[in-house]
Order: sequence, then C-alpha cells, then structure tokens
Amino acid sequence: MRDPYEILGVASTASPEDIRKAYRRLAKKLHPDLNPGSKESEERFKEVSGAYGLLSDPDKRRQFDAGEIDASGAERPRQRFYKDFAAEAPAGHPYENRSGFADFAETDDVFAELFRRQAREARRARGPDLHYRLSIEFLDAVNGATKRLTLPDGGSLDVTIPSGIEAGQILRLRGKGAPSLGEGEAGDALVEISINPHRFFTRHGDDIHVDLPVTLAEAVLGSSVRAPTPTGPVNLTVPKGSNTGTVLRLKGKGVPRPGGHGDELVKLKVMLPPQPNAELESFLASWASGTSYDPRRDMQP
Amino acid sequence: MIISKQDFLDRAQLDRETLEVWIEEEWLVPGGAGTEPAFSEADVARAQLIRDLMQDLGVNDEGVGVILNLLDQVHGLRKALADLLASVREQSVPPRAGSSSGQDRNRE
Repeated sequence: MRDPYEILGVASTASPEDIRKAYRRLAKKLHPDLNPGSKESEERFKEVSGAYGLLSDPDKRRQFDAGEIDASGAERPRQRFYKDFAAEAPAGHPYENRSGFADFAETDDVFAELFRRQAREARRARGPDLHYRLSIEFLDAVNGATKRLTLPDGGSLDVTIPSGIEAGQILRLRGKGAPSLGEGEAGDALVEISINPHRFFTRHGDDIHVDLPVTLAEAVLGSSVRAPTPTGPVNLTVPKGSNTGTVLRLKGKGVPRPGGHGDELVKLKVMLPPQPNAELESFLASWASGTSYDPRRDMQP
Repeated sequence: MIISKQDFLDRAQLDRETLEVWIEEEWLVPGGAGTEPAFSEADVARAQLIRDLMQDLGVNDEGVGVILNLLDQVHGLRKALADLLASVREQSVPPRAGSSSGQDRNRE
C-alpha cells in the first residue's frame, strides 16, 4: 500500500482537521455509491478510506509515524456498497425510482415500449419471501403434524409438517410471504425446521435407535417386554441369553419414507437392581467361582 | 434473508430513535407486514451509505434526502439503460463472423 499521506494528498505534518478535510474532499468525489458505474472509483475509495482510517486515529497515526506499523494494517474490509444491492434488486423494490425517465414512456416508439414493459414488470413483481424458523418435537417430525407458527406481527400461520421431515429442511408456503408492492402475487413463507431431541429416541437416517433397559432376569431367561416406538409401545421378545449391546430390530417402526418405513433398532441395556440384593450376592458368590469367563480378555496389553 | 429490527440496529450501528427518524423520512423503507419491520442486506448497506454521507461527507439532513432521491433515480436509469442495451444487443446483427445471434442463424 502507498504512503497514506500521499494518498490523501496531505503533508505528514497535517493537522487532524486538514486530514479530515482532505478525506472529505476525496470521498465526495470517489464514494462508490456516488459513482455506481466506476470500478476505479471504488478501488481508489478503498485506498483513501484505508488511509483515513489510519491517520484519523491518533494512536495509529503515532505508531505509523514511529514506524511501528505499516500502512497495510489500516485497510478496513468494507462490506458491499449499497450500489451492489441496487444493481441486483428485483423490479418493484421499495427504493425503485422511475421519475428520472418516466416521460420517455409517454412517447410511442420502441424505446417507450421498453420502458412501459419495465413499469408493468415492476407493478407485477412478486412480494418478497419471508423466512421463519420453527422448532418441532421429535415425534412430530417422525409422525407429521400441523403446527401453528406465531408471526412477529402477531398473526399466525398453520404449517403442515410432513411425516419424516429432517432437521434443516425448509418448507415453502406459497403466497404466505410479504405482499407485492404493486399488483403482483405475495411472496412465499420459507420455514426452516429444527427438531428438538427426544428423551430416548435418536434418529439415524430412516432408522430410530433406542436404548432399552432390561433386568438381569429378562436378559438371561428371555422375556417379552414393552418397547416404546414413535407410534406407541409394542411387545418385544427378548431372546434368552441376551446381553447389554444386543440389538433387536423392530421392522417398519422407524421413520416413514417413500414406499415404507425405516426400522427401530432396540439396543438392550442390562440393569442390576438399584439396591444391593443379598440373595443375588450370595448366588453370584457361589456361581462366579465356577466360571472362567473374562470379558476383558481382548483388552490385555 | 430477513433481518430483525434488533439485528439491524446492531449491524448498522444505529440507535432506535435515529432509525425511527430515518424511516419517518423514508430514507429507509423496511419490508414486513404489521408492526414489526423486516430489513434486508440492502437496507444495511443503505444505512451505511447514509452514515457515510452524514459523518464522513458532512452532508446535512436535508441533503441526505436529496442525494438518496437522486441516487435512486440514477439506479432506476442504470437499470433502464441496462435493459435497453440488452434488448438492442438482442436485435442487432454484429457484422463480424462467428457470432451466434438470431439473424445470423437465419442466414445459414
């Protein structure tokens, strides 16, 4: 970067007031929004405002004069200028102003037709889309639901949640956005869905995982237990000799998908009684002495 | 993307009273139905422009309104000119070979 004093065209002894005046003079000429078609103005303005940013701050200016910092640190990254948005704005946006050439449209040559077409387009432009966020319960995401979204202006919007929706999906409600500024259709409401976690269900693709606690007796002897699914509890047969980590599949009890359902995968978790049990202890004391099973055998270094 | 009033105030570094005045003056025209205004990225950039005009360029309140009005006309004209150029380019026949305009194809 060039010398900031040189960029602003001031002496290195210039007073803060002189620097401000020099900047103002240049900015009036070079501000990109006042020169919307000039790439060169934009580049020079960035340089000038960088130099001013450095020299208008007494601390930075002192450091620069003392050679402690160089001019490159002064370039402040500026977000886009208004002109960039104005250039992309759709027909019918609120700042549109046609009074600079509206009279051209009153004649009847080909150009007038062009301007008239532009005016018509502006009038018919759709209203803008409005974005909302809606967080729903896990089971509503799996089973589908209708949720009422309260809008910032106090109104409300009924949102139909299709079953099996995933977090981050965006629902488009046609015509529920902002009204057109002219005679066009209203924009759409775009609702981004987030899903609250469930107490015990988790979702992996179309399958639902759940950890199901079982007693020692249910696992060792086998049993029939009630297992929760998103559509209500069902009977689940725990085979004899099941263990912590045994996974049982409930076919079709997962998340709906086109042409069927995913599965629910039930992972068993053997739970000992919370209170010490004298009977169990004495049984295990006599039983354990007769076995040589070592579950940590694979973990020996 | 819609920006809420509070986010807008933070990003544009404005206080509530100033924003009320700017909206009153129609320097900013936020979207949004009902009582809660909805701002866009364009509004943030426009607020930055207004701040530049007032703080850096020393433009007074009356001047800002005049400048914005003329700027909006400039953008209207730029858009009209761009459309005009586009339609002229569509209809004109570039004299050089290798172009793909409609009339060139008709000649083949």
